[in-house]
Amino acid sequence: MTGLIAEPQPERRTASVELGPASVDLGPAATVDTGPAVLARGEWPVGPADTLPAIAGFVVSSFSPLVAEVAERCLTARYGTAPAATERTGVVLASVAGDVATTDTVAAALAAGRRVPPLLFFQSNPNAVVGYVTERWGLFGPVVCLSPAGDPYTDALEAAALLLDDGAADEVLVITADLARGPGERDHAVAVLVGPATSRRW
Amino acid sequence: MSEQVVVTGLAARSAFGPDTSALLARAFTGEPAFTPVRRFDATARRSGVAATLPGAPVLADELVAVIEDACRVAGDPGPRTGPLLLAAHADRSNAATAADVALRVGVAGGVRTYTAACVAASTAVADAATMIATGRHDRVVVAAGFLVDEDIFALFDAGRVLARDGAVRPFSTGRLGMVLGDAIAAVVLESASSAAERGARVRARLAGWGRCGDAYHVCQPRPDGTGMARAITSALDRAGVGPDDVGYVNANGTGTVFNDAAEAAALRLTFGDRLPRVPVSSTKSVHGHALEATGLLELVITVLALRAGRLPVNAGYLGPDVDCPLDVVVGRPRPSGARYALSVNAAFGGANTALLVGAP
Repeated sequence: MTGLIAEPQPERRTASVELGPASVDLGPAATVDTGPAVLARGEWPVGPADTLPAIAGFVVSSFSPLVAEVAERCLTARYGTAPAATERTGVVLASVAGDVATTDTVAAALAAGRRVPPLLFFQSNPNAVVGYVTERWGLFGPVVCLSPAGDPYTDALEAAALLLDDGAADEVLVITADLARGPGERDHAVAVLVGPATSRRW
Repeated sequence: MSEQVVVTGLAARSAFGPDTSALLARAFTGEPAFTPVRRFDATARRSGVAATLPGAPVLADELVAVIEDACRVAGDPGPRTGPLLLAAHADRSNAATAADVALRVGVAGGVRTYTAACVAASTAVADAATMIATGRHDRVVVAAGFLVDEDIFALFDAGRVLARDGAVRPFSTGRLGMVLGDAIAAVVLESASSAAERGARVRARLAGWGRCGDAYHVCQPRPDGTGMARAITSALDRAGVGPDDVGYVNANGTGTVFNDAAEAAALRLTFGDRLPRVPVSSTKSVHGHALEATGLLELVITVLALRAGRLPVNAGYLGPDVDCPLDVVVGRPRPSGARYALSVNAAFGGANTALLVGAP
């Protein structure tokens, strides 16, 4: 089970590009052969001292702040300040486990007979933080959230390629995010902004 | 994009039973499946009703069964080399569930789970259609499942969106919110040429699809409905048809005050002065809100209604609301010769989708 949806065609290849850190300007279009062109990138953490800003209305879990921060870094690298240059920007958010901290908080509250905090109602779904990002940056394209079965970045990039090929978006903000799975691990997320490839073969 | 997309297989399980016969019959008569929750203790919640399957269903088992049903309807098109797109609540077990289901139904083309809340399933359908339209695949199976559980019920109760009167009253005066409902559904989407080649019976055409964001709020819809209207327009444009060609809207219609008003605004932007003559109903009023699976259940109902030439009833309707000046189908199913019908959905994060179903 690879998690890949679009089975590789003989003349097609998925994106494979070595990207620099978030602070590096990638230039006008770090194109890849036939996949989407990578326009900008953001990552968290960048170094052991990196901190994660809180966002209003999201509590308990670092999942949504993590998504918001890498989106901010990526879009800032591309556009400087909000809004984005194109409204027809979609968002694809892929997370293998999702917001397990919120999930576990709800389960623990029920097990203990405690009230479930109302704020967890909306943040229990990955769409919510995407709404935060799209409102802040003026992104009116499709919103897609995924639980990938294989490599999250590959899966999310394929979903983004569908939106671009479909004409549903001019650019797509692709985010992969997962919380630390245990001691010694850190939360980690990457965001890339992609646009149509300059040379398509399909 | 040149390939036309058609529906050759479809199946659904709901609180009405393990197939679509009772589901459709009750959608036509407007009799909800809402009963007191017995799957878990809901006595501490503001609302204690839902539409649930009997017993203790297991999501993976239900998905396997409904996929097999849909493929059987499609004429069991042989080796399932295309991908399987699932829609389910965001959960740490999704990858394992997806792998299990794909293995059991014999899908070899990869699997992906969509989790974008109440547009998860409809987004999967749009992606499947794109895969076919762009020639990536001849056939894609889309399946979605949501089973009401204690955690989600408690979250929605905490969010104060469940109807205290235990009824869903979309677009109605006095509407108080939603009721959750189980749903497991599957469709087989196929290129028209592939279906013709193997002599498959076409149940409907997926004539268009559109998805657009509101860029407005984490959980509230844009009140002016512009995001949803753009999604609808995108679906119509793709099909090359105009608003006048649409004879029915299976609405998102959650029964919540703000969502229904925003949807009515979107429909006004779409249909303009014709809005009072466009039949609209939300079948959530009988099967409840199935969250990540609701878009697929409603697509199945829309296809079946179009084929039956009758439009489902918007149950629970108490009377017109000034913010929802729509031609709501009430009382009895309305005869219809519509050639096109829209299935509309919206979700947290300002996500909107529209699927345009065309008669074969």
